[in-house]
Amino acid sequence: MTSADRPIRVRRVHPWLLGVAWTSPWLVGLVVFLAVPVLLSLIYGFTEYSLIEPPIPVGAANYREMLGDGLFWRVLANTLLYTVLAVGIGTVLSLGIAVALEQRVPGSDLVRAVVFLPTVVPVVAASLAWAWMFSAESGLINTLLAHVGIRGPDWLGDGRWAMLSVVIVGLWGIGSQVVIYAAALRDVPRQLYDAAAIDGATPIGRFFRITLPQISPTVLFNVVMSIIWSIQVFAAPLIMTKGGPDNATLVYSLYVYRNAFEYGRMGYASALAWVQFLVALILTGMALWLGRRLVHYRGAS
Amino acid sequence: MLYWEKWTGREGAAIQRVIDRYNESQHHAWVHRVSIADLPAKAMVAIGGGDPPDLVGLFSFNVPHYAEARAVMAMDEFARSDEFDLDRYAPHVRDILTHEGRAWGGINTCSTSALFFNRTHLREIGLDAPPRTLDAFDEAAAALTVTDATGRIQRAGFLQTLPGWWPYLWALIFDCPLYDPATHRAIIADDRAIAAMHWVQETARRLGVGATRAFSGAFPRTYHSAQDPFISERVSMILQGPWLSAFIREHNPALDWGCVPMPLPADAPEPHLARGMVEGDVLMIPRGCPHPEEAFDFLLFTQLRENQELLAKVHGKGSPMREISDSFREGHTNPEVTVFDAIARSHRARILPQTRIWKQYADMVMSAFDAVWGGESPESALLLVERRAQQLLDLDSRRNAAHGPNA
Repeated sequence: MTSADRPIRVRRVHPWLLGVAWTSPWLVGLVVFLAVPVLLSLIYGFTEYSLIEPPIPVGAANYREMLGDGLFWRVLANTLLYTVLAVGIGTVLSLGIAVALEQRVPGSDLVRAVVFLPTVVPVVAASLAWAWMFSAESGLINTLLAHVGIRGPDWLGDGRWAMLSVVIVGLWGIGSQVVIYAAALRDVPRQLYDAAAIDGATPIGRFFRITLPQISPTVLFNVVMSIIWSIQVFAAPLIMTKGGPDNATLVYSLYVYRNAFEYGRMGYASALAWVQFLVALILTGMALWLGRRLVHYRGAS
Repeated sequence: MLYWEKWTGREGAAIQRVIDRYNESQHHAWVHRVSIADLPAKAMVAIGGGDPPDLVGLFSFNVPHYAEARAVMAMDEFARSDEFDLDRYAPHVRDILTHEGRAWGGINTCSTSALFFNRTHLREIGLDAPPRTLDAFDEAAAALTVTDATGRIQRAGFLQTLPGWWPYLWALIFDCPLYDPATHRAIIADDRAIAAMHWVQETARRLGVGATRAFSGAFPRTYHSAQDPFISERVSMILQGPWLSAFIREHNPALDWGCVPMPLPADAPEPHLARGMVEGDVLMIPRGCPHPEEAFDFLLFTQLRENQELLAKVHGKGSPMREISDSFREGHTNPEVTVFDAIARSHRARILPQTRIWKQYADMVMSAFDAVWGGESPESALLLVERRAQQLLDLDSRRNAAHGPNA
């Protein structure tokens, strides 16, 4: 028997090992780029660490410092305000657009594409364009307002308007939420509407008694995701206002970034980041707790 | 050798000429420059990560932090350290390079800011140059300001919000030192800084907070372009750095302009001496870089007077050296370079506080400036800044006392 005639012996590999091998690029990425940095940031939160010198253990000093840091409370309040505005307005607006688009009027596909389009524009480019449009003197918005006799505010220079301006830029990218709502709306059983029509329900009644309960899991999902994204908002305020005027748009992530990379206080920034995580966790928990009472899962008892 | 520098464009081309000279002058080393945006943050990550370039071009306010962390090498650590001579620099430049009694880098041009004025506009009100005292200056600025029927500013005589990069400079003009290195005390809630902020607030009150913010907000990213407020003649006087001269020549060569030191309060001591801040770009060698001695050789080359003068000429800046060559001002790109030189050499000018918390301190002053412009009391706004800055300074002092600088 020649070697060419010998049967090839195939060693059987355990399916579990094969699975690990196939997913190893992702697993390595998860450990190296996520798990280890997260763990390190937890440790650094208890140190004085400037990146360019070894960390010095300081116990809970960074967390104690936050209590007396007026700017910490300011950025926390700013971020919560942003979250409330962005999540509140964003949910109502995206749901409203999705419902309108589902009315099957001519051109709705084009409108859907237009609504989704901003989500593919890089946030840096969008923020720069919006900053120009918000210019009090020569911006497009105030120019249009002037045509109808309204003197527009100083959107980015006035602390009372600056946060709303940043929120508007965030709302510009609600296209992905609209698409998710649109998909959920198509999944609502038609027979429920038919039955409601026989019972004489009004369109508003149908929306609140059929549509909203039926898509409530999707609403919860979008709200939770919006909360998490809003608490981490960074690029738009950085580019449009740099946190000003007078810290009116200084949001949490921007403060973390400044401490880490501009002030050389990676330890304090790590502690701040963990508090940010806890805030996101609490808000998400509250949303899920509310969801348990308000969300209707089809098929659930 | 890898050299990270922040400059691009004309300024990048100038340092490349120096690098080319060096590369041609010897055969044992080759310098490769890479332009890096947001360099201080990236340098921090590279050094902290143990993979630094051989040379890095940072700002003068970075020196204390990098020096205390021993993230860069002191000039006395090299075999040829005796060739690095601090006495060759102008006094403020020497101070910029030094921390804890040791030099931590070479200079790569220094700058200060001066008042640019539009001569044509000033002639409209019968002046050839801005007045020397603040009271008269404010009157001139008011006379130069043009508003429309709705109160909107069409042309500003002078606004402290333009360009708005150095809100602490107004305190320096009023002789407030911002920081006492001997006692590690923040000094910003004192009478001189408060007087400065009252002067700032008076401008906002006179022209209107909304109108001035709207006007200033129209120039958010227009510096170094034809839309710059001074180059486009929307503002008659502006405090700016020497680099503006090059951009004027490029974008509005017909502009008839001049430069003077910033006017002073009427009761300022030694009013003949200009006030201002002296800043610099500093060339440093990160600890742990692959070729420290070769990097030092290049650094020494850049510190030769002819090389620093070449850079300064192209950048429109004054010379950082104590002795200026006879040919320096000939063919200099900035016709008003002598004004900047005089400010940089005035013993009433100051360098920025040499403390690692300076960037945070400066950001707080920026917020206080915004608040004061919006109508908040200067006393309370500055007191908040001073308290927080002092907290941070105390933290830093405690850290240094407990652990000392790194070995």
